[in-house]
Amino acid sequence: MERVKERAKVLEIKDLRVSFHTRRGVFKALRGVDLELYKGEVLGLAGESGSGKSTLGLAIMGLLPRNARVESGEVLLDGSKDVLKRLRDYGSRDVKFDPRKNEKLIKRLNKELREVRGRALAMVFQEPLTSLNPVLQVGYQIAEAVYYHDPMRLVRRAISRNRCTQADLRDLMTTLKTKGEEALIEEVEKRNLRGLEEQILSIWRRQDIHEAKKEKLILSLDKHKLDSKDRLGISIYLRGLQRVPVLGRLAKDALIKEGYRLAVEILTYLGIPHPEKVVRMYPHELSGGMRQRVVIGIAIVNNPEIVIMDEPTSALDVTIQAQILELVSSLKASSNRSFIFISHDLSVLAEVSDRIAIMYAGKIAEVGPVKVIFEEPQHPYTKMLMDAIPTMDKTELKAIPGSVPDMRSPPKGCSFSNRCPFVMPKCKEMEPPMVEVSEGHKVACFLVGERK
Amino acid sequence: MEERTEEGKYSNLILSLKVFFSNRTAVAGMVIFLAYVVDALIMQFDPRLLGVTNPNQFTYNFVNPVPQPPSSQYPLGTTYPGINLLQAILEAIRVDLGYSMLIVVGGAVIGAVVGILAAYVGGYLDELLMRFTDIFFSVPYLVLAIAVGFALGRSFTSMVIALIIVWWPIYARYTRSLTLSIKESVFVEAAKAAGASMVRIMFKHILPNTLPPVVVQISLDLGSVVGVFATLAFIGFIPNANTPELGYLASLGLNYVQSAPWTVIFPGLAITLFALSVNLMGDGLRDVIDPRRRS
Amino acid sequence: MISIKLWVYVLRRILILIPTLIGLTLLVFVLVHIQGNNLILAEYINPRLTGQARELEIQRLTQEFHLDQPVYVQYFYWLGQVLTGNLGYTNTPIYSGPVTTAITLFLPNTVVLSLFAALLIWLIGIPLGVFSAVNRDSPADQGIRVFSFTLYSMPIYLIAIALILLLGVYLNVLPFSGEVSPQMVAGLSWFRDGISYPTHVLLIDAILHGDYAVAWNAFLHLIMPSLTLALAVMAGIIRILRASMLEVLEQDYIRLARAKGVPERVVNNLHARRNAMLPVVTSFGYTVAGLLGGVVVVESVFDFPGIGYWTTQALLNNDIGGIMASTLLFGIVLVLTTLILDLVYAVVDPRIRY
Repeated sequence: MERVKERAKVLEIKDLRVSFHTRRGVFKALRGVDLELYKGEVLGLAGESGSGKSTLGLAIMGLLPRNARVESGEVLLDGSKDVLKRLRDYGSRDVKFDPRKNEKLIKRLNKELREVRGRALAMVFQEPLTSLNPVLQVGYQIAEAVYYHDPMRLVRRAISRNRCTQADLRDLMTTLKTKGEEALIEEVEKRNLRGLEEQILSIWRRQDIHEAKKEKLILSLDKHKLDSKDRLGISIYLRGLQRVPVLGRLAKDALIKEGYRLAVEILTYLGIPHPEKVVRMYPHELSGGMRQRVVIGIAIVNNPEIVIMDEPTSALDVTIQAQILELVSSLKASSNRSFIFISHDLSVLAEVSDRIAIMYAGKIAEVGPVKVIFEEPQHPYTKMLMDAIPTMDKTELKAIPGSVPDMRSPPKGCSFSNRCPFVMPKCKEMEPPMVEVSEGHKVACFLVGERK
Repeated sequence: MEERTEEGKYSNLILSLKVFFSNRTAVAGMVIFLAYVVDALIMQFDPRLLGVTNPNQFTYNFVNPVPQPPSSQYPLGTTYPGINLLQAILEAIRVDLGYSMLIVVGGAVIGAVVGILAAYVGGYLDELLMRFTDIFFSVPYLVLAIAVGFALGRSFTSMVIALIIVWWPIYARYTRSLTLSIKESVFVEAAKAAGASMVRIMFKHILPNTLPPVVVQISLDLGSVVGVFATLAFIGFIPNANTPELGYLASLGLNYVQSAPWTVIFPGLAITLFALSVNLMGDGLRDVIDPRRRS
Repeated sequence: MISIKLWVYVLRRILILIPTLIGLTLLVFVLVHIQGNNLILAEYINPRLTGQARELEIQRLTQEFHLDQPVYVQYFYWLGQVLTGNLGYTNTPIYSGPVTTAITLFLPNTVVLSLFAALLIWLIGIPLGVFSAVNRDSPADQGIRVFSFTLYSMPIYLIAIALILLLGVYLNVLPFSGEVSPQMVAGLSWFRDGISYPTHVLLIDAILHGDYAVAWNAFLHLIMPSLTLALAVMAGIIRILRASMLEVLEQDYIRLARAKGVPERVVNNLHARRNAMLPVVTSFGYTVAGLLGGVVVVESVFDFPGIGYWTTQALLNNDIGGIMASTLLFGIVLVLTTLILDLVYAVVDPRIRY
């Protein structure tokens, strides 16, 4: 538990309130959410549909729709960058909310956050079937994410591969085998071949092929030289002419072509068979599970610090679901990224999360380490959720009586009071504060406060 | 349970009205459209209210046939030969509105029957009927109208028939696609399971559900039909028609257009305003029946 | 793999055309016959013949077209004549003679006019629609919406007259009658009796003969008709494109494009526009039908010698040959254009089921 505290916060959400203005009324989706995300952890975010968990994900990305009003709160990236400042400045003002005005601000926000999105922050959406652009090739959709953030990475990859000789590759191979990955990176630097190391390592780290095969593949990297059109495109890019109409097109084509190679590596890593063919396919030619892998590929290709996964498995078959969960676990193990994993399914969250936050009616009801939440849940809602998880030895499932309150006029006091078996008079009067029960375990319920 | 659905229907209606009336341009469109309808009705039943004695004919003035600019006596000026434009436009609206309504409704009725039949019966009949509509889509509608109208003899009646022939296939395709989706819905399945006859299902269950979108389409088409109708008259489809019609009225002033632009502009604007109003109204109605646009 | 599928699709699309084209000829035949035999005679009798020669010709035609036999027999004889290129005679003030010659004179002009209009639509209409949707509710968007809505509601002749008054009369910058100023072509060896040689398109012929002043003049005469046509058709395209663009901009894949940090310019012009164009391309059939229908009005308002001008002249002069031939011709052009656009659609949208 101590360890958690020491870790750096990569994301901090403070008192976030967001409401949706529709013709049917104002829906209060988030009503004061406080949450932190630490480096290298997976935070599971659970809740029923309509609890505001997806809105929270979108808010962090700054991808709210035009009718979303940010009434107050902050989303701080790396402790300083205030993502929603622009929208909050407008939304917190005491004026009649105009979605058109909000849309203008969202447009500016889109421009401001462009550098951050996809590079520091990435998101995987719920619907793999509609998340990919139907008229663009899969490879392009991955390549583009790199092209617009780190084009030099593509240039380096292409040039280093073009420049390296068979002797270089043999030496590097020996270094890798005898001294390991770090030494390889140093050696590549020394030979002025930066960009080659990731290509070598992506082959080296593959699990699906034998070592001899890997060696063969690495040693044949120098066979994939650039053709004259690509060389022209890259030299146009290096001369800074990518804004010139026709020349720019050539530069982009050359870099995107390199991006396709990178996309193949990513798809291989994500366990997609025949990635060389898949990158040339269109989304409708892929199955749901494959598409979700592609979306995940797009999210991780730039090595972002934070990946938000909004119900990434809910639309998929159970078997595919298991594969994707395994993939997420391995991603977590192999990098120092932080994940927010949003799901309505606690059993899914139990598999991947380090900590779990339970959301109810736009607020965090309880948050804590996964073990604590499952073994000693404190909030009545959490307890009831646990009882509702189907397991082998349970004879009956307990559904939670009642339904989520109407978010247009959430009840005064605790929003769970109308369904809570332990409801007390004061629950209807005031909102329970967040109380820290143990290290890192916080609950918003008067029952807990009483006991303390 | 019963009460709830009744209430649901009621609140749905209220929401529909709310959606429509919150759209100011749609309401404006409806007001203008109603003004045209009122004018047409007055001309039909009591033209003297607007100081017109015979709305079936232009009142010529050969003493002073050259177009006069707008003045206090002639608020919109006159056109050749000495016709009071304002009065002529007010008279002409009746003809354009009446014939266009006839064309659109006629086309919609024929089209709806064919479309529902094609979609519901399906199979070869569907294929046959759709290939049949293809033929009508294979000629630009204005050209087809000219050819059909010409073959039937150049008159208003043949123009109306020609335009119905041009327009029904559009409705046939539209109701066909609507029927195809309604056919799959639960209540049709339920009616089938309950043993309702085919004719009963088609007319009792499917037709009423295709009606709202078709009505919207009618409203939107009315604007185009008025335009095409007037255009045909403008290019001289009807020889020496002494009938107040907006396109024909505009063509009377064509030789003077450089010195007296109002002779063409005002009748044209009368059509444009009408088309604009039904388009605005139709867009508003479409928002009402389209659940996606409601929120 | 895909290309084989594509070829199968092309072949199938062409096969579907055959019944449509047969239907088209049937339609024209029915129209010709709706009032009995006299129309078909009127269509095929050389208008120059009189008296005895005319009587003899009628007898010959009755025999050749089997006019004494049942109607369905007549259809096949008539179709036979049509397929061998015999479309009868036309007799209008602008041209009197065999229909086939009239077509070679007028069709090229109409094609050039339509292509110009299509180019203008592409250059103005598409960007306006995208811009309007991307800047939803901005003053510019509202301006574009009012503009396109008004245009959409205007009968095409009013657009033509408005342009004539504005650009031709008040500003006096563009000519608005005919295909060229008469004094420019007086006494030219390659321009006789209002007909230019060899292509019959004045603009192209002038360039071929190196007479650039005439070419420029012809070009100026082309602007207003094509602009009218473009404006009339553009209105619908802007509306459809704006609506579909707005819908596409709400899609998940647009959100994902933003989530991965693609610049807004690329989101709009690549990710969104390519998808938003699909309904526009699907509605191209209607667009082309509108364009070709508009040709009739525009050419007759601007006295531009194309198929449309010929059609109205035929109408005004009760010339059945001209009307029926142009109906057939417009039909064939529309059907073929739709076919081509369908094939383009199949290439643009990878989802299409070949």
